[in-house]
Amino acid sequence: MKLSRISAFAHKETLEIVRDPITVWIALAMPLVMLFLFGFALSFDVKDAPLMIVDHDRSAQSRALSNQFLNTSYFAFAGAPEDERVAEHALMEGRARAILSIPPGFGRRLARGETAPVQFVVDGTYGATAAIVSAYGRAIIYAFPSGALELPIEPQVRVWHNPQLESRNFIIPGLFAVILMALSPLLTALAVAREKELGTIAQIYASPLTRWEFILGKLFPYVVIAALQLTLVLAAGFLWFKIPMRGSFPLLMGLGLIYVICTVSIGLLVSMIVRTQVAAMLVAIIITLMPAFLFSGFVYPIFTMPEFFQGYSARIPTMYFVNISRGVVMRGAGLEELWGNALVLIVYTAVVLFLAAWLFKKRIA
Amino acid sequence: MVGPDGAGKSTLLQILSGILRPSFGECRVLGEDVRRHAERIQARVGYMSQGFSLYDRLSVAENIAFAAKIRDVPASAYAIRKRRLLDMAGLERFEARREAALSGGMRKKLALCANLIHEPPLLVLDEPSLGVDPLSRRELWRMLEAAKAAGRSIIFATSYMDEADASDRVLLLKDGRPLALGPPAELRKRAHGRVFSLRTNRADDVERALTRDARVLTFQKRSPEEFRVQLASNVLPSITDATLAPAQPSMEDAFTLISPDQLRETPAPAPPNTTQPGGVVVSARAVTHRFGAFVAVDDVSLEVKAGEVLGLLGPNGAGKTTLIRILCGLLAPSAGTAAVAGFDAARQSEEVRSRIGYVSQRFSLFLDLTPKENLLFFARAYGVPEDEITERIAWASARAGLGEDAGALVRSLSGAVRQRLALACAIVHRPRVLFLDEPTSGVDPISRFRFWRLIAAVAQSGVAVIVSTHYLEEATYCDRLGLMLDGRMIALDALAVLQKELGLEDASVEDVFLGFIQRERARSAA
Repeated sequence: MKLSRISAFAHKETLEIVRDPITVWIALAMPLVMLFLFGFALSFDVKDAPLMIVDHDRSAQSRALSNQFLNTSYFAFAGAPEDERVAEHALMEGRARAILSIPPGFGRRLARGETAPVQFVVDGTYGATAAIVSAYGRAIIYAFPSGALELPIEPQVRVWHNPQLESRNFIIPGLFAVILMALSPLLTALAVAREKELGTIAQIYASPLTRWEFILGKLFPYVVIAALQLTLVLAAGFLWFKIPMRGSFPLLMGLGLIYVICTVSIGLLVSMIVRTQVAAMLVAIIITLMPAFLFSGFVYPIFTMPEFFQGYSARIPTMYFVNISRGVVMRGAGLEELWGNALVLIVYTAVVLFLAAWLFKKRIA
Repeated sequence: MVGPDGAGKSTLLQILSGILRPSFGECRVLGEDVRRHAERIQARVGYMSQGFSLYDRLSVAENIAFAAKIRDVPASAYAIRKRRLLDMAGLERFEARREAALSGGMRKKLALCANLIHEPPLLVLDEPSLGVDPLSRRELWRMLEAAKAAGRSIIFATSYMDEADASDRVLLLKDGRPLALGPPAELRKRAHGRVFSLRTNRADDVERALTRDARVLTFQKRSPEEFRVQLASNVLPSITDATLAPAQPSMEDAFTLISPDQLRETPAPAPPNTTQPGGVVVSARAVTHRFGAFVAVDDVSLEVKAGEVLGLLGPNGAGKTTLIRILCGLLAPSAGTAAVAGFDAARQSEEVRSRIGYVSQRFSLFLDLTPKENLLFFARAYGVPEDEITERIAWASARAGLGEDAGALVRSLSGAVRQRLALACAIVHRPRVLFLDEPTSGVDPISRFRFWRLIAAVAQSGVAVIVSTHYLEEATYCDRLGLMLDGRMIALDALAVLQKELGLEDASVEDVFLGFIQRERARSAA
């Protein structure tokens, strides 16, 4: 392996990239577009869920309970019909997400120190939100001063790592991993396919350039671009979305660099297999973008998946960087905890590059 | 290496460069086994593939520098070699220009420079001069002669017979098999006694007789009184009113006569008749087409009459295809007007398109249909009435010299048969104008001759024909020639008239073309 040949190749590749400024701009703008789209649009927080209250009791206590609901930011008042059927109808049509139904005698029972049942109906169409809405509702009801209800244990709940339960604090560190997997390999995937389409690859075959010189020279400029993408998304995440950072920036950058080398290598591997740029694009999207979204734990937790898909997720590098990114950002985890994830990424990169080198035959197919 | 498309030229060259592993057999290049030490061969040869093989976004200097660095050319030697090569290629003034902005001829010369920078002992070149203008072709050959003089061996594939003739040895390939290998003079000797010059003063009668005679393999009309005739055997045909004299066989004669299946029967082309050209069917006035800043067609005017064959000659990128597309109504010109069959090609393109036939470079045929299904589709697409379709298809097939349809898919047919099918599909609706865009690329000489006879027969039924080609020798089959260069029509007339204009009677088409290029350059320099 000769350094002069690698640098000659990397130099040529850089010139080609720089002379296609539109592609470079797209490569740098796309991660930000994706970060902003998902950063703003994707949220699991429940806010202002329309609530209908059917109050058959009309006592001071029943009004107090209603107010407890409406004084939170979780629910918004959507009406107080006299008839349950009206409220149920609204729930079916989606005008209400929840119904609080207070039976007659609620206040009297409470005053007597008896248990006073209330009904809380939740629209279960969206499973995840329904669970949150019903949890909020239950929490408000339990917290209602009943006077008679004396719990022997008073739980003091503390939420660690994300005390405000802001889903953004959780989503954006995950997005870092998804974006760098979804977009960074695309350019590289086109790189070798373009040479095949142009016919310039024949010149490379008939030259002393070895496979490793070819691969390293090809890889280097794209790793630089991916590192720029990494810097951009991190900057936007911390400066624009103001995600609190509990860990070390250099650690996140360093492990991020390992991750992008890994994702860019995957792009290179794709490029070795296909013949055309269109095919490269399609294959790259199918093997990087889709699994990065579904099987990285970015949105859908992996531990709830069937065993088979847990195993599948473990084969996609995104999961490891989701762990790293969330660990460093949310928990302030250090290398002593995350080295396992980092090691997997390094081994993964090595395997992908060896595979790419093995597939690069320096021969006409 | 000489042979039609699919003969195996490129494959053999790739094996010799060490970038394709042979399935069987032994092959040693530069003393190395291509199976075991391919990388040693790859590192030392200069290999130039077909088409363009350099980085279009890099400049001339950057492309050379890259080629030098990956081949470990020492910096001290690099500067001198680069200057010498660029100087010889006439590229020294263009060092900073992007490869994509060079002409086809310049790109080829640059690719050759990139392959000479490491001074390889062996150069392997795949059709280096294909579609290059005659001037660049000469410069390219000057560089190759210098390389040969410096002791380098050169193996190259070509479809130009004069290049084969200038080689030390020629390998004739067909269908992957070697037919002959030897010095050109020796191969030409095999065609002795088969090639004759025929002089007559009754050209039309003689032409008809030649067409009918099974002993005549091909013939070319050299002048109103002279034909060049190739015979299938040593038996002379008896043609009245003509004198036959033995002629010096060319490399192309050798190629045609050495092919074992030279006599494979194709239906005889319809005999020519002597109808005079009719009225003007195609006329273009000051047609110009720009793609951005690039002028693809520059102020071209021409007229073609019914029954006439106009050949558009010129290197790749001269504007032939763009001009044909404008006349077909597929592209609106940036300036000027074109009228075809009485309609404006730009504004009445619907009317124009139903009255023309168009055979594009790649024969737009459906590969997964049979020839008959293709013909049926094109007949219906052009609105041939259902009750006439059978008869029309039979007529078009006969005209195009298509044999019995065996029901095989087009995919499995040879280039020559596909070519004839494309012609049949283009005439099934009885167009008034027929456009053919490089229809003869990569086909063997005898199929090319037969195809030109078919074209002539179509023209003689009153169709105006416009054919583009970059094989200059095909000019003899056309009534008139349009020589194109850099988008301009630098000459437009019958070959004999053009020869006379330059004072170069009996000169080859290439020399005539060169004469006009030089005249054009002198004019633009003045």
